Amino acid sequence: MRLDDRIVALVAAAAKVSWLVDLSFENISRWIELELGQYLSDPKPQPYGNQHCQTYPLSPILHIVSGNTPHAALQSLIRGVIVGATNWIKLPHQGIPEVDIFVDALPKELRPEMATELLPHWMEKAEVIVVFGSDQTVREFSQRVLPSQRFLAHGEKVSLGLIWGQCDPQIAEGIARDVFPFDQLGCLSPQFFFVVGDSADFALQLSDQLEKQPPRTLAPARDRATAGVLRAFREEWKFRAAITPGVFLRESRGNLDWVVIHDPEPVLVTNPLHGTIFIKPMPPDVELTLAPIRRLISTIGLFPINRELVHFGICLGAQRICRIGQMQNPPLTWHHDGWPALGSFVRFVDIEGL
Amino acid sequence: MKYSGNSAIELEILGFLSEPAEERFESLALSIYNYQRRANPVYAQYCEYLGTPKQVDSWKRIPAVPQIAFKRSDIRSFPVQETQTEFRTSGTTGEGHGKHHFPSIRLYEAAVQRGWDYFRLPRHRSILLMQHPEDAPFSSLSRMGAILAGSEPERFVISQDGGLDFSRLREQLSDRHEAVTLFGTALAYLNLFEKAPDFDLALNPASMVMETGGFKGSGRDVAKSDLYEKLSLRLGVAADSIWNEYGMTELSSQFYSRGVGRSHQAPPWVRFQIIDPETNQEASPGKVGLLRIIDLANLWSVLAVLTQDLAIAQPDGGFLLLGRDPQALPRGCSRAVDELMHFARG
Repeated sequence: MRLDDRIVALVAAAAKVSWLVDLSFENISRWIELELGQYLSDPKPQPYGNQHCQTYPLSPILHIVSGNTPHAALQSLIRGVIVGATNWIKLPHQGIPEVDIFVDALPKELRPEMATELLPHWMEKAEVIVVFGSDQTVREFSQRVLPSQRFLAHGEKVSLGLIWGQCDPQIAEGIARDVFPFDQLGCLSPQFFFVVGDSADFALQLSDQLEKQPPRTLAPARDRATAGVLRAFREEWKFRAAITPGVFLRESRGNLDWVVIHDPEPVLVTNPLHGTIFIKPMPPDVELTLAPIRRLISTIGLFPINRELVHFGICLGAQRICRIGQMQNPPLTWHHDGWPALGSFVRFVDIEGL
Repeated sequence: MKYSGNSAIELEILGFLSEPAEERFESLALSIYNYQRRANPVYAQYCEYLGTPKQVDSWKRIPAVPQIAFKRSDIRSFPVQETQTEFRTSGTTGEGHGKHHFPSIRLYEAAVQRGWDYFRLPRHRSILLMQHPEDAPFSSLSRMGAILAGSEPERFVISQDGGLDFSRLREQLSDRHEAVTLFGTALAYLNLFEKAPDFDLALNPASMVMETGGFKGSGRDVAKSDLYEKLSLRLGVAADSIWNEYGMTELSSQFYSRGVGRSHQAPPWVRFQIIDPETNQEASPGKVGLLRIIDLANLWSVLAVLTQDLAIAQPDGGFLLLGRDPQALPRGCSRAVDELMHFARG
């Protein structure tokens, strides 16, 4: 199928999934142009310096996806379809309804082969293996990859926010938009915010703002075991608050929707997620504080955003930097975990003497 | 400084343990709360933070300290210099040890003994799958074993290095005509079965088996029904003769359940509530929630403890223990910072 037809088919299928609204023909075309120039749209050798170059899809692509973040599964499949690869998807045992809906809406020739078990020939025959999941999952698959295969591991990550300023309704709304989608379980979900200035006042203002917001649909039905862990965690922090100067906790009333914890110690602490927001003062040496997690930082949300602070975020190890409030909305063109999204799925063939 | 003993409130609690009277529970609980709020500055700070008045009108309104607080602070309702005994949690969660301090273990001993008798548990000769208290001075379980069985070393069949002392076990099991009580952690039983697959462990059928402790921190998870089937098969006792003791370092009293699928019951000086994790209020009957325990024998720390275990209240007055779900909090692709820190520390 030609590239234009594949794009049209993707746009039609994306219309069935509410959060794929960005996927228009124009946006996809712009994305391809940005990453691969004319390589995909014009399947002839393209001038490349004094030589020529042409791309071919690495195919088949095996996508091993996890159930917690359907976004990642669909993004990976869409990239594979765009470059023209054959796609195989190993789904989690419980399946992913969004993937089923999207795939059903694709023309037959673009549909991936899907299974909840790894089919025997997949690992051997795939030219690219993409894995989304825990570090353990990534480790297990990495041991089975052949040196000739391209292996793209999207393991667990930490995201955070850095704020210079006071908490106003806009920032509070931005933090809510960053924290609450996917019940804070995504790799783009911030686990804590470092604040310059009066961090305690910031935490109070933030909790006041969250309290004013209407009950949200943010808290999906959590099982009782998860709720138990969250409650035990909050009670533990109430105890800490009672005995530790500067620590305090504000929480949603009568439910586990959200909690804001102010901790004056910049040291990183456990966060059970599910609507748990840590506000901490900016450490004197942020780089040192974040050093243990440097290689695993995904997104840093900034307020305000300017070149100086962007440079600061890059030095801390961020793979993506954006404005507070946009952490969950990477553009179509983003380099997931720092790699070219489409370029990782093609083989560049250099042609000399043409 | 040594504990002088005979405090009026301690004597009152000891009296209650000897002759429990339901109608006195509440007033005694409130007296203990008042005492602890005065004597325990950390608890007083906690109550103040929660906004709990100095006088409350029901045992249900006594603030419960989260179990993990014993790891975070010194929860002590007596002067530090009077400390005689310290029990520690196993530290298997990697967050350090929880500590429970005592100026005297007289109340603790009484709670263990009276609890055992309250449930009419047999006073057979005991064989303890645990270390001797001298080898494990901070283990409340070893101390409990010694309180029940005496501290003769031959009763304890786990050696100082944590291994099973097979010759001692063989010796202890030599008289199969005598009913005994075999008491150990679930993990100790599994280790025993695995390390000695051919060892004849058959007990006299009138014997009792007591298991406790679960598999926390071992990376293992065996269903209770499977465990009891194994115990029954290898030890030659009916499943009904297998009991579970549910206790914790942070408390002084124990709950017991018999066989599989039955509720845990408290002695009269212990009550519990099931807390709805969403609302932090008492859960409606039949709902799963966190177990909150009020133990009148816990005079020297705090009498009310919010555990991290899930349970369901039962119509028979007990609770069905669900424990902790090791799979709780699936994290998606967000990485736990504490794991990273642990990794970074190597």
